[in-house]
Amino acid sequence: MADNKDQNLDVNYWRSFEELNGDVKSLKLKHDEFHEGVTEDFDPEKNLSGISRRKFLALVGASAALAGAGCSDYREKGEIVAYNKKPEEIVIGKANYYSSTCSSCSLACGILIKTREGRPIKIDGNPDHPINKGKICAKGQASILNLYDPSRYQRPTKGNFGFRNDIDWKTVDKEIKNILTTNDGKEIAIVLHKVNSPTAIKVLEEFKNKYPTLKFYYYDLFDDGAKLSAFRKTHGVAALPVIKFEDAKIILALEGDFLGVDGNKLEQGRKFAERRDVDDTKNFSRVYSVEGNLSITGMNSDYRLRLSPVHQYEFVASLLNELILKRNIGGIALDGVAREVVSSVSLDSFASKHDLDKNVLKSLADDLANHRSDVLVFAGSILNEETHILVNLLNEVLGNSKLFSTTEINENLHEYSSKTEIENLVQSMKNGNVKLLIHFDSNPVYHLSKDFDYENALKNVANTVTLCIEENETAALSNYVLPINHNFESWGDASVRNGLFSLLQPVISPLYDTRQKEAILLHWMNDNVDNFDDKQYLNFLKNNWMTNVYPKINSPLTFDRYWNISLHDGVSQAKNKSQINYQFNRAALNSINKPKVSGNYCLTLTENLNIADGRFANNGWLQELPHPISKVTWDNYAAISHQTGKKINLKINDLVEISVHGKTKIFPVVLQPGLANNFINIELGFGRTHCPVIAADVGVNANHLLSKENFGSSNLYDNVTIKKVDGKGTVVTTQEHHNYDEALIQEAHKKRFIIIEGTVNQYLKDPKFVQTRPRHTLKNINKEHEYKDVKWAMSIDLNKCIGCGDCVVGCNVENNIPIVGKDQVGRGREMQWLRIDRYYSGTPENPKINVQPMLCQHCDQAPCENVCPVVATTHSPDGLNQMIYNRCVGTRYCSNNCPYKVRRFNFFNFRDNLKNSYYEQDSISLLHNPEVTVRSRGVMEKCTFCIQRIMDAREEVTRSGIKLKGTDVKTACQEACNTNAIKFGDMNDLESEINRYRNHDLGYVVLEDTNVRPNVTYIAKLRNSHSEEM
Amino acid sequence: MTNSFIDYLIRVRLPITIFVAICAFAVTYFASRAERDGVGYTPDQPIAFSHKLHAGQLKIDCQYCHTTVEKSRFASIPSASTCMNCHVVARKDRPEIIKLTKMYNEGKPILWNRIHKVPDYAYFNHSKHVNKGIQCQSCHGNVEEMEKVGQMNSFTMGACLDCHRNPEARMPYLKNVKKGPDNCSACHR
Repeated sequence: MADNKDQNLDVNYWRSFEELNGDVKSLKLKHDEFHEGVTEDFDPEKNLSGISRRKFLALVGASAALAGAGCSDYREKGEIVAYNKKPEEIVIGKANYYSSTCSSCSLACGILIKTREGRPIKIDGNPDHPINKGKICAKGQASILNLYDPSRYQRPTKGNFGFRNDIDWKTVDKEIKNILTTNDGKEIAIVLHKVNSPTAIKVLEEFKNKYPTLKFYYYDLFDDGAKLSAFRKTHGVAALPVIKFEDAKIILALEGDFLGVDGNKLEQGRKFAERRDVDDTKNFSRVYSVEGNLSITGMNSDYRLRLSPVHQYEFVASLLNELILKRNIGGIALDGVAREVVSSVSLDSFASKHDLDKNVLKSLADDLANHRSDVLVFAGSILNEETHILVNLLNEVLGNSKLFSTTEINENLHEYSSKTEIENLVQSMKNGNVKLLIHFDSNPVYHLSKDFDYENALKNVANTVTLCIEENETAALSNYVLPINHNFESWGDASVRNGLFSLLQPVISPLYDTRQKEAILLHWMNDNVDNFDDKQYLNFLKNNWMTNVYPKINSPLTFDRYWNISLHDGVSQAKNKSQINYQFNRAALNSINKPKVSGNYCLTLTENLNIADGRFANNGWLQELPHPISKVTWDNYAAISHQTGKKINLKINDLVEISVHGKTKIFPVVLQPGLANNFINIELGFGRTHCPVIAADVGVNANHLLSKENFGSSNLYDNVTIKKVDGKGTVVTTQEHHNYDEALIQEAHKKRFIIIEGTVNQYLKDPKFVQTRPRHTLKNINKEHEYKDVKWAMSIDLNKCIGCGDCVVGCNVENNIPIVGKDQVGRGREMQWLRIDRYYSGTPENPKINVQPMLCQHCDQAPCENVCPVVATTHSPDGLNQMIYNRCVGTRYCSNNCPYKVRRFNFFNFRDNLKNSYYEQDSISLLHNPEVTVRSRGVMEKCTFCIQRIMDAREEVTRSGIKLKGTDVKTACQEACNTNAIKFGDMNDLESEINRYRNHDLGYVVLEDTNVRPNVTYIAKLRNSHSEEM
Repeated sequence: MTNSFIDYLIRVRLPITIFVAICAFAVTYFASRAERDGVGYTPDQPIAFSHKLHAGQLKIDCQYCHTTVEKSRFASIPSASTCMNCHVVARKDRPEIIKLTKMYNEGKPILWNRIHKVPDYAYFNHSKHVNKGIQCQSCHGNVEEMEKVGQMNSFTMGACLDCHRNPEARMPYLKNVKKGPDNCSACHR
């Protein structure tokens, strides 16, 4: 630019090169206001249409008048499509419920499917089911979204390497039948997950009888492998015992998450919560948790110690040393290997070595010793076999096998295939000895460790069939992809306990051209495969029940009646059940080898509570449900402790490369308070590559780290290295990570009495300690509302709330809450009406954790109501804070004025906004609850206390004439709450439970000082520690 | 000159224009009110079903066909099979019945033109009203006298509230009738 100095121009600012170079034309342009020709010849008569302004207006008026006169006078109101023949059981506008069995995981909980006009809209637990007793987890509730998932495969396809053509079922049947019947001695392989259906097992067996070269390969990403084999060694039983948590006074959880991913969290959580009743503090249980990862159990424990899982073996040995050798408990004289193991360690030196609190350890040892046979030591299935054997010994020493139920027995219908068997399969696949490989609703390409080299071996198999519901990694590499029915379109049965059988029934006919997976195999057994009979599996199921189940039940009814009743109840129990006595086998102790621990990092690859092994990755509700502890959504990450983070200079969202015996992968980092040092936790199920759009680009596939060189359990690794790499991750959370360094924020939730907690001893000594906290006398300037009749109120018992998030999903499904996607969550625009706040207090190393479900508090003096300029949010005579969508103009003043931040604004039509209108496709509209408005862009929304259910109860009251009771209404979150922490009812009814909780000594309302008078009461959390102080 | 012309515009032309505009609006507003509210909407139906004949002359109870009116939010339009309860034998030779029988046998639903409609965000509940003893005619007019059913009353929020606040006016036959709720959530959720 320097060479332009001679021209009289300001060269610093130029708009074009012409200007820069001092072009004459451009200078002239600068001088004139209008370009040449812009203002000249502006003659409307000539250039425009020639109609004068007046004439134009007259024409407009005339045409408007004409349009008014000529228009059809009434608005089109559409049509009503009446049934041709109305099914007898359907009352338009009323829901029907069908019992069935959940198949979201292999635990086979009983469910009730709510259908409206023939379409399933909500899943609840089946109250008649003895295991889950009317409750169902987040996965089960959200599984309804998978039924209506727009990406479901709609017809069979055939092809290679991404090129697929539609094919009809008849051709598939013929071609597969040809392959099956070719008699060349080559293997037919079926790869499948755990099967809990006795009838499906029978189909598989018969299939094998028909085609003898068939072999089954059972695997699961999370299979309890080490725990199961330890229990088999020590007790000779091939299934884990059912534990009576309700009888356990002291629970020691060793890297065990019985409220989360270990075992049936519904049953265990319910039983655990029974011992957390504030009205029965004498029987309060005490939970010690010793873990590296921070689990839901750890979050709810009374004492928590941090210990890397690789040291658990030594820890259990030290405990044994303390109890058996030092305190001489159990009267067991150890010998052989066990004595050697136990005597070589001691609790004291272990505590010093791993920096554990000696006082806690001492009280733990005291408790274990003093409460023998009321104590339970629960070890997580992620631990290795040796540790489990020692834990089983510890339980035996303490007489805890009393807590193993003798009447309820878990049953496995088959064993998992061993690693060698799967290696052999891969070998014969590579050798071309497998003529037909059937993936029976399984996804081994994604799940199996790369060590198996399954993906490459697949290329040598001539015919690969994948039965699946939607796109997955294995289907992408298969010749035939056969779409199967969703659970809710299928018949079936399940049995996971002795003498307990449950049934699955279809509640909607298949939405697409799909078939039930068992029926496909059954059909291929027919000699003539021309005509598919969709009743064939039903008949097979009925026959199997007639011959195998019905005789066991010993029912006085005829089979047909029995069948109908079982179908109605969803579950059937034998009267005379087998019993079991667990005998400890000492010989198992001789086989233990002390595992060798490196000084390096330890890694656990755990199950994500929401999306399991990846099968729910395409479920937006579950992806968006915040992680119960880190509150991260739509992602997985490497969780490390603060200290470890400081050591390698890491902050949240930095990237690290993690290497496990030569396998490396890059993850974003989350600094998780409460983790053990030198420990990394990563959750599996993310990073799907061949999947529908919701699951795409979510998280990192940590299955790549799975290795044969593990620490005795397939998801536990020692000697892992971690290295910071350049770049940033994009992890988003719904709750800011606690800032420990800022004095203002630190423990603000306690200073402001958002969280009030105490100890059991404190409560026993001073029952009014919550009420005697410093409080202000408050005056009200607004007019008081009168509540003459019913007044709705809720109470949430923080002793029972474990923070799992099942209620959030229940609310989502009930209230048509949209999914917003990761990007919008990052901007704080998540729409969940109910959130679980998680508070840390104490140090980042040993934080105390509180959870608190937060929803609209339906304040008597609601601050949102006063500021709405269009009166879209008002107060009802029964104490509800009403939100009227069609009146809302979206000023967001209400949200601004809400002290609890529970109002949610539709910044978009989120159904349209997410992933190219993914959730606005046709099939999704079938999912919506017709009793709740589907909100669009620009309106505010919030929890309504399930007004649709209240109105339903009121309708019922008008019909029956009986007075409305508070217990007539159950909110969706209350129904979903597995531990019964949420109570709802009429607080004006003095006899009611809710009234009692509202006036409970431990009851408080959040932010009382604002004097908004909420109608949600929280029951303060009590920790069952030894001292009176926190 | 200029001044006086503006004067004329403001004093004479402007009031006249405004007056004409207001009159035109007022007349159109009142004349079209019924149409806007849908009152008098009497569409042709795919089958010329006569309520006058069935409900009036034959005195068939409303609930013989509108079965769910006491049980649910919706009164529901009867299925073709309900019609066929009688019409498998009755009046088989009439053209409308032949049409009906054909549709029934083909398994096709009958697409009735909707007459009464409240917006989707208002959750009107038939059973609440009927179980309180309110007669169908109070809202739907004397259907038993209609050859072709049309909308007789306004179904706007104003109309709902009029009756909720002053139920005696329209339903003198109900003794001790209580006022209906007038909070938002009574209808909107």
